Amino acid sequence: MAAAAATAASKGNGGGGGRAGAGEASSSRKKKGPGPLATAYLVIYNVVMTAGWLVIAVGLVRAYLAKGSYHSLYYSIEKPLKFFQTGALLEILHCAIGIVPSSVVLTSFQVMSRVFLIWAVTHSVKEVQSEDSVLLFVIAWTITEIIRYSFYTFSLLNHLPYLIKWARYTLFIVLYPMGVSGELLTIYAALPFVRQAGLYSISLPNKYNFSFDYYAFLILIMISYIPIFPQLYFHMIHQRRKILSHTEEHKKFE
Amino acid sequence: RLRGGVWNQEKGDKVEILDAKTREKLCFLDKVEPQATIAEIKNLFTKTHPQWYPARQSLRLDPKGKSLKDEDVLQKLPVGTTATLYFRDLGAQISWVTVFLTEYAGPLFIYLLFYFRVPFIYGHKYDFTSSRHTVVHLACICHSFHYIKRLLETLFVHRFSHGTMPLRNIFKNCTYYWGFAAWMAYYINHPLYTPPTYGAQQVKLALAIFVICQLGNFSIHMALRDLRPAGSKTRKIPYPTKNPFTWLFLLVSCPNYTYEVGSWIGFAIMTQCLPVALFSLVGFTQMTIWAKGKHRSYLKEFRDYPPLRMPIIPFLL
Repeated sequence: MAAAAATAASKGNGGGGGRAGAGEASSSRKKKGPGPLATAYLVIYNVVMTAGWLVIAVGLVRAYLAKGSYHSLYYSIEKPLKFFQTGALLEILHCAIGIVPSSVVLTSFQVMSRVFLIWAVTHSVKEVQSEDSVLLFVIAWTITEIIRYSFYTFSLLNHLPYLIKWARYTLFIVLYPMGVSGELLTIYAALPFVRQAGLYSISLPNKYNFSFDYYAFLILIMISYIPIFPQLYFHMIHQRRKILSHTEEHKKFE
Repeated sequence: RLRGGVWNQEKGDKVEILDAKTREKLCFLDKVEPQATIAEIKNLFTKTHPQWYPARQSLRLDPKGKSLKDEDVLQKLPVGTTATLYFRDLGAQISWVTVFLTEYAGPLFIYLLFYFRVPFIYGHKYDFTSSRHTVVHLACICHSFHYIKRLLETLFVHRFSHGTMPLRNIFKNCTYYWGFAAWMAYYINHPLYTPPTYGAQQVKLALAIFVICQLGNFSIHMALRDLRPAGSKTRKIPYPTKNPFTWLFLLVSCPNYTYEVGSWIGFAIMTQCLPVALFSLVGFTQMTIWAKGKHRSYLKEFRDYPPLRMPIIPFLL
C-alpha cells in the first residue's frame, strides 16, 4: 500500500514533491504553478531526495557484492532509509502550504503508511530486520522513489524526458505488487514478536480506562490492504492509459 | 428529447432543461407561469422524469454554477424568453430528520447493551451483572439523557433549512456515532473499569459541568428556533435573550457547539475514560469547522454582525 501509493500518478506537470495518486483534481491541469522561490526550493528538495534514494540503491548493491548474498541487507542502508523516508513528511507540508497541488489528506495517508512501516514495524520489531520481505519492499520503494523524485525534478524544470514519464507510469505494474508483498510479509513476520512482548499494547485495568492491542491493530492494517490495494492499482492503470496515450497522440502530430 | 406541446406564445414562459454534463435536452416546458418558483419547475420536471424527485435535482443557470434556490422566481432570473436551466443529479437523498433520528437512536440503544452487559461482550461470568461503581450508573443516565434530548429536539425543536442530504451521509454519520458510542460504552461498563482518581469530588464537578452545558445547549436550540418562524427558511442574527444561558451569544456565533463540547468534556472528566476524551476531541474539531463556516456566512450576510464574536470559543477560536 505504501509502495502503491507512492507510485500513484501525478496529473499535470507541476507535481513538485507531493504524492499524487487518486486525490489530485483530474479536471484541472493547473497552469499556475508555485512561485519562483517555491519552485527553486522544490527542485532542491526533489534533487536531494533523488540523490538520497540513489545512495540507498548504491548501498544495497555494494552490500550485496560485499556479502555475497542478498540476506540481511537492511542493516547496511538502515540509516539513509530512515532519514530519507521520514524526510518525505515534508511533502505533507508542501501540500498544506499549497506549493504542491496534491491533496493533504491523500499525501498524509501515503507518507504516514511508509513511515509506519519503517518505524512502527521494521525498526520496532528487531527480529524482522533480517527477513527477506524487508528487502522486497525496500527495493520496490527505492526504484519507485528514484523515478518519482526525478520525474518531479524534471517536471519542475519543464523538461521531462519521455523515458522518465514512461518509467513512472509503467514500472509500477511490477513494483507495486512487489512492494505490497514485502510490506504484508514483514508485518506478518512481526506478529508473533508483537504478541509475545505486548509491544505498544496497554490492557485493562488502568486509570484511563483504555486498552490497545497492537497485534490486533496490525492485523486490521493487513486486512485494509484488501480494499485499498486494488483501488490504487487500477487507478494507476487508468492513469497510465490516459497519460501515455496522450503523449503518443502528441507525437503523432509532430 | 423535445417534449412537444402547443407553443402558446401569448402567455407563460418557456423553460428548457439540459443535462449539465452532456447538454442533452431533458425536458421542455412551455406555458410556465413567470411567477413560478424553481420548486414548482422541479415538480414539473419530476413529472417527465419521476426517478429524479425534486430533492435530488440541482438546477442552475450555468452548468458549472451554483444551484438555484427553490424560492427563486423564474421571472427574476437573468434569462431570455426561453429559460435554459442545467440539471445535475444530486444522487439519492434522505431527509435530515431521518438521518438525525437514526444517528441518535443508535448510541442510545448501543450504550445500554453494554450497560446491561448483554452476553458476548464481556466474559460469560459477567453477563447481565451490574457495575458496583455509582459513577457507571450515573454515566449511563447522562449518556442516555443526552441522546434522548437530541431525539426530542430533532422531532420538536429544530427547524431545518435543507430538507435532505445525500444518502451516503447516513452511513458515514452512523458509523461515527454508533462506533464511538460502542467504543466508549465498552470501557465505561467494563468489569475492570477504574473509577475517577479524585472520587466523588471529580464526579460531582463533572456532573455540574455536564448539566449546565446540556441546559445551555438546549437553551440555544430554543433561541434559534424562535428566530425562525415555522416553515420558513429565514436567517437572522441570533442575540442573547432573558435566559442567561443564551448570553454566550455575546461572545460566540455558535454557542450550541460550545455547550456541546462542554458537555462531552464534562462526561470525559466524569468517567475518566480516554475514548470519551478522544470522542470529545474529534467532535470539537468537526464542530469548530462548522462554527467557522457558520460564522463566515453570518459575516457575509449581515453587515452589522457583532464584531466581538468568535465562532466557537470566546476570544480564541
